[in-house]
Parts: sequence; C-alpha cells; structure tokens
Amino acid sequence: MSNNYLEVTNLKKSFGGIKAVDIQSLKLNKDQLTSIIGPNGAGKTTFFDLISGFQDSDNGKVYLNDKNITKSQPYLIARLGMIRTFQLTKVFDRMTVLENMMFSASNVNNDSFLKSLIKLPSQKINEKNIRDKSFEIMKELNIEHMADSYARELSGGQKKLLELGRSIINDPKILLLDEPLAGVNPKLAEEILEIILNLSEKGISILMVEHNIEAVMKISERVIVLAEGKVIADNTPENVRTDENVISAYLGSENE
Amino acid sequence: MKLTFKSSITILLTIFSISLVFLLNDEGEIPILFNLLTFAGIYGLAAIGLNVHFGLTGLLNFGHAAFMGLGAYVTILLIPHAAGREGEITVSGLPFFLALIIGIISAALFGLLLGLPAIRLRGDYLAIVTIAAAEIFRLLVRDLESITGGVYGIINFSDALQQSRPVFINNFASTYDLNPSQMWVAFLSWVSIFLVLLLLKRLTNSPWGRALRAVREDEDAVRALGKNAVWLKLQSFMLGAGIAGLSGVLLAFNYGTVQVSTFIPILTFYVWAIMILGGVGSLTGPIFGSVMFWVIISETNGIAQLIFENANGQQIAGVRFVLVGLLIMVLMIFRPSGLMGKKEELLLDVK
Amino acid sequence: MIEQLGNGLLLGIIIAVASVALSLLYGVTRIVNFAHGEIIALGAIATLFLSSPIDSRVLFLDRFSPLGNNFYLSVLISVLFCGLFGGILEFFLFRPLRKAEVGNIAVLVVTIGLSLFLRHIYLLLNAKPQNFPLELQRRQTYLFFDMTPRNFRVLILGIIVMVLVGLLLNYTKIGKAMRAVRDSNDLASVSGINSDNIILFTWISSSMLAGLAGVFQATINDVRYNMGFLILLLIFAGTVLGGIGTSFGAMVGGFIIGIVVNVSVGLPFMEGHTEAKNAIALAIMIIILLFRPQGIFGEKERLS
Repeated sequence: MSNNYLEVTNLKKSFGGIKAVDIQSLKLNKDQLTSIIGPNGAGKTTFFDLISGFQDSDNGKVYLNDKNITKSQPYLIARLGMIRTFQLTKVFDRMTVLENMMFSASNVNNDSFLKSLIKLPSQKINEKNIRDKSFEIMKELNIEHMADSYARELSGGQKKLLELGRSIINDPKILLLDEPLAGVNPKLAEEILEIILNLSEKGISILMVEHNIEAVMKISERVIVLAEGKVIADNTPENVRTDENVISAYLGSENE
Repeated sequence: MKLTFKSSITILLTIFSISLVFLLNDEGEIPILFNLLTFAGIYGLAAIGLNVHFGLTGLLNFGHAAFMGLGAYVTILLIPHAAGREGEITVSGLPFFLALIIGIISAALFGLLLGLPAIRLRGDYLAIVTIAAAEIFRLLVRDLESITGGVYGIINFSDALQQSRPVFINNFASTYDLNPSQMWVAFLSWVSIFLVLLLLKRLTNSPWGRALRAVREDEDAVRALGKNAVWLKLQSFMLGAGIAGLSGVLLAFNYGTVQVSTFIPILTFYVWAIMILGGVGSLTGPIFGSVMFWVIISETNGIAQLIFENANGQQIAGVRFVLVGLLIMVLMIFRPSGLMGKKEELLLDVK
Repeated sequence: MIEQLGNGLLLGIIIAVASVALSLLYGVTRIVNFAHGEIIALGAIATLFLSSPIDSRVLFLDRFSPLGNNFYLSVLISVLFCGLFGGILEFFLFRPLRKAEVGNIAVLVVTIGLSLFLRHIYLLLNAKPQNFPLELQRRQTYLFFDMTPRNFRVLILGIIVMVLVGLLLNYTKIGKAMRAVRDSNDLASVSGINSDNIILFTWISSSMLAGLAGVFQATINDVRYNMGFLILLLIFAGTVLGGIGTSFGAMVGGFIIGIVVNVSVGLPFMEGHTEAKNAIALAIMIIILLFRPQGIFGEKERLS
C-alpha cells in the first residue's frame, strides 16, 4: 500500500472550450489536512465533482487507495469511505435534524424494502443504535437541542454543522469539505475549524476547499493552489504564502 | 390518523359533500351515492399509488393510466374472456386471484422498465417520458387488436371475479336495489384501500420510507452519503405502479369491459386532481379527496343543465373536464397542500 | 414514399415551429408548458371563428363570421390574438406565481390544469371537427415530393418564419437578451433589460408561434378542439430530440420527428399498423433520453 489515498493523473475537464480542470498529476497523503485554494472559477468545485463521481472527466484517471474510481458512481465512491460535502449546503430540508443524521447512519442493509416491510427485530435494534450514535454526534457538534426541528429551520452555520455531522457519522476515511466555512459567522467558524482539526487528529484524511485564506493557512499541513484549472503551487502554508506565482495569480489581487 | 383540526374539517367536508348528493337529487340518491363511492374507492386507490411516486419520492408521473391499464389487461387476458370484433372467446384461464397478482407484478415491472430511462433525469423530463409512455401503451392497445381487442375491447371476463361474490353482498345489494356486481367491486376497492394504507403506513415510518424522503429532498446528498438514489427511486416507482395496477383491475371489473378508451390520459389527470385535493404526501388524504371529487363529478350533470338546455353527453363531459382543470389550477395556486397535506412537507420548490 | 415525404415535411414544419416556441419558453422561464397545445389550437380556432360560421349551438357562433371574406386577415389577427393571450397568461397567472416563488413542479401542474380547462372550453364552443373555408386543391409535384400548392406555401412560410426567429434571436437586442437569460439560467445576470419584460416578450412570441403552428396544422388537416393536445407529445419529442432549450435543436428535432412519423408508415413491419406511427416517434424520444438526455444539440449540464 502506498502512502497516498488519492492519486490523480492527467485529469481534464472543459466546458464549451474553457478548461475548468487540467491537472497533470496530484497525490494526496494519508492522514494529512490538505487545502485547495484559488480564485473564483479556478476549478476547485469541479475538481471535487470529478473525484467524487458527480461529473465525468473528459480525460485522465482517479485512484482511491490504488483502486481506479474514474467515472465511478458517486454512491460507490462514498461507500469506499470518501465522503464529500457541498458548497451550497445540502441538508434534507423537510426532514428533522435527527432524521437527517439517522438516514446517513443507516446502511443499505438497514434501509432495505423487505426488512422495512417485515419489520425485523434486528432492524429495530439497528435503529436504536443509529439513534444513539446520531445523538452522540449531534452532542459533539452542539446541535442536539435541534434534533426534532426541520432542517430548513436551521441557520446557515447550523446547516453546515449538520452536513458535517451527517458526513462523519459513518467514520469515513477521507472527507472532502467544500467551503465548510462559507456563510458562517466568525464564532461558529472557529468552532468548525476546531472540529475539522479534531477529525484530522483522529486520523481522517481531509481535503478542503476554502476561501478563508487565514483559516486555511492556520490549520492546513499542505496547500494546493489552483488557477484556471491548473496547479500553480503545492507546498506548506508558509511556502505558499511567499510563492511568487501565487502572489501574482491570486493572493496579490486579494491584497489590493 | 389522529383527530387534528385539519382532519376534523376534512371529515366534516366529506360528510357535507355526501349530504349534497341527497340535497341535489330528488330520487335515486342511494344508487347514485354507491355508484360514486365505487368510483371514489377505485380512483382513491390509484391516487394513493400516485402519492407514493409524487408525495413520498417527488417523482412526476403523468403516465398513471398506463400502469392501471397494464395491470388490468394482463389480469383480464389471463382469465376467461372474449376479445375483439368477433368476440373471440378464451375459455381457459388462471384463477382470478393468481391472475390479479401477476397483473400487479406486471404493472410494477412496467414501472421498472419505464423508470430505467426516466429516473436518471430531472423531474420535468420524467413527466414527459411517462406521459409519452402512456401514449405508446394506448396506441399499442389500439393497434394489437388480436390480443387486446383494440377498439372493440374485451368483454365477458367478470365471472371470474363475480363467482366468488359472497352472499352478504347480494343481500345488501337487493335491500337497497343496487347492482350486486358493482357492490362486490366497491367492497373489494375499499378493502384494498385499507390494506394498502396499512402497508404504506408501515413502510413510510421505516428506514426505507426515510430514505425515500431523503431522495425527494436532495438526490445529490443521498448519493454523496453512499446511497443508491436510483434504485430507491425505482423501488418507489414499482410500488406505486403496482398499486395503480390493482386499481386498474378494479376499474375494469367495475365497467365489466375494457376498451382503448378506458385507460386514457384524462384518467391520469383525474387521479392527479384527486391526489392534490386530498393532499400531496398525505396517506389518508386521497380517500377524502376522492369522495369529494366524485361528488363534484356526479353533480356536473346538473351544472351542465344550468349552462346548456338539454346538455348532451359531450357537453356534460366538457363541463366536467373544465371543472377538473379549474380544480387542479386553483388548488395548486391557492392550496397546494390540499385537504390533508402537511405544509411543512410540501413539494413546491422541487427543481 | 413520395407522398409520405411530402406529408412528413408538412408535419415537420408544424412541429418545428411549435417546438421552437416551446423550447424558447422553457429556456427563458424553465416552464414545461403542457398548455402549449391549447395555444396551438387557439390559433386555429380563432381563425375559424373569424373567417367562417361555426357549426355550434353556443353563443350564436353559427351566425357570426366577422371576417368571412378575408382568410389571411383572419390568420393574422388570430396569431396576434394568441400573442395577446400568451401575454395575459404571463401577466395574470405565471408572473404572480413567479413572484410568490412557486416552484417549477407546481407551475408544471398548473399548466396541466390550464390545458384541461382550455381544451374543454373549446369543446363546449364547438365539438365537431371543421375545415377552414378553403377550396379543394390538387397535389402537384415539387422536386422530389408532392403536395397541394397551398400546403407548399405553408411549408415555405414556415421556413421563412423559422429564419425570422433565428434572426430575431441573433441580431436584436431583445433576442440577445432572451438568449442570455436562457444560457445563463440566471435572470439577474442580464443587465440593461428588465427580466419581467423579457419573459413577457417570450410568452408573447412563443404563443404567436404556437398559434401560427395551429393555423398550419388546421390548413393541412382540420380544426378540432383537441388538435393541440394530439400533437403536443410529438412537439415534446421534437424539443427533446434537438435538446430542450436550444432553438436550432428544436427546429431540427421537430423536422426529424415529423418526417419519422410519416415515413415510418412505409416501413415493412408497420404494414397494417399505421395507427402506431406516433408510437415510433415517442419511442425514439425515450431512447434519446436514455442515451443522450441533452438531445442532439444540447449541452450536458441539464442532467440531474
């Protein structure tokens, strides 16, 4: 087994002639907190879509733990232990927070039509375990008091927390976080960063897309900079900060 | 069903609409009432099936008539019947209940077949595909005259069901001067509704039902969490189609014949109107919606007479469909949750 | 085969015009308009109403033919009337729904109700199929197909209209704005023109095209209350085939569907099964959706 969880070669995707993603080679190390930054339209979310199966690449290969997952279905990729979140938070609006959590915790076997029809005792036990686990996670994330609220009643930050909770309830090996801090107030953003750091320390490999540069620099072990679909820098936070390419393409314009 | 304010109002409205039958008709109220309750039972069952698709899973199915029709044709063709212009008689056949089960399974499998191309697509594409598939079904039924009897239809299949008619139905029918065959169909329809509701109650409160609601809310998130959204949607499609198949069989036995004109797009729109009136996503709503709907339909005769002197059949039908169209529009605009739907679970902003 | 090709071209031009109208409306408003067929029928019915006494007991229409002597003026006024009707629908029905942020699915169901409602209003006005007051003509041969001179004019006029729509979309300010709205999926991003006005204009032009398609259809066949509903699925097929939301695609798709429907009658396995010809076009649509949901000319983004 190699030390990489994700390996991408020659990955290309374009929309109507515009190259959204064009990455020659990229390897992500296990147990590392890696962040992707870049100006708007740099192809960050498209890259996430390509590696999580939500879009098909025009060209190239994606390997997850040495397994070829190119053009694989999103749910199959998720079952391999790589769970993603979305830039525009996707919670199940008209279900309660608890139902959101329990749905995620419940596995295919537990969800089966026949079992639900016969109402097997084993399913009942399962449901109880799932429920307990959901409360455990909700407690950790401090949304326990909202358990019976409809998810759409939550604030933007709480939705981010719920989405995060839903993603970690099945102990994923890899988390892909798409702007976990977007639209979140500074205080809650601190909390979320704390949670992300904790998850990383627990041994979950994390890849994060984030616009909040300060936050990224603070917690990341490695920072990848994308611009116009290409990797223009890939280094430790300190080195990326002083990289000339990055300053001219991105950070520079931010300081103006 | 808990007796909430909403359900109390609904029950009162239903009782009121039934009493309208007695107020508006000078004679023959009892036969009129039982005739409309028969249709209400059959269509209510179909609307419950549609609600599995739309209310529970968010699938826009506009081909319901085809699922109903397929269930009916398969069942009827497996039992003794007479088909086509010459009334060609098929004497041998399966026992009714075995044929019924095969009919229901066929409708469910038709749902699977139709779901395969459609279900990966966005909601409005599914609407187009299902309505087109229903039209293909109708054209095939008309064209394959050697099997389906085409425009001449199929007759003489009722005995397979009616020979199992119990004595109490006969007694009841003769007491009130009703048609015993129709009462047997009516009885079976309402029993089916009861059983199907029990089944759905069990399923919607289960992990499977929870997964379907998640699919309705956000498919992408479902996929991202490692669940096969397509398979869940197909299962829902099959379940709803199977229920539709059952209601189609009952409809056929209520008429005693089936023709091309039995399972046409209008039938689908009726069922939609009933579902919206009763409440999208509500289990029991379609029953009440169906009874009220059929009271309105059965009184359109009177309304048509108000507009036209000596309205003919086509004019009565015209008035009826104008009303149904108006009902769908007005409900969708002003009360999309219908009688019993939950506002919190309404599917208004689905893409 | 020559006869079928002529019929195919005629049905093709009807479906192409109607498909462009449907696709334009969908592109700009995201409304799948199931009442499109009824606007088509309105074009034909209004023309009939203006140009000849109607065989109807309702509203004394049988004694009424205001423009009895001038068929072409009747057509013109009917098409304008369809535009007005589309504008009224947008102004009094769909704009309020949009302002109330009613979702696309709910609006789709509303158009289904509207379709049922309008169609049977037409039925109540006049149930019997009727022909336009036009004299019978003999078929003539044009190049490699044959049709009556009048139908040939319909074909030419249809092609001219399609070209005009193309010019409108590509070279006028409002046309460019419509395309911008369609392609960006975002009304707010178009500056300079009020998005409400763009949508209003789209409704009006889509309805005028639909009305014209109805006049074409009635010229070739006859006027009946459900003529729009009968052809609606073929229009959907044409639109989907070309790629929903692309005008050029809708035009080509519409033509293909029209020709397929008529030419398929000549296929060996269709012998004695002419009634099922529409089924083939619809089956093609479903197969296209299975393998290339974005249609022939559409971009892939429209997948779920």
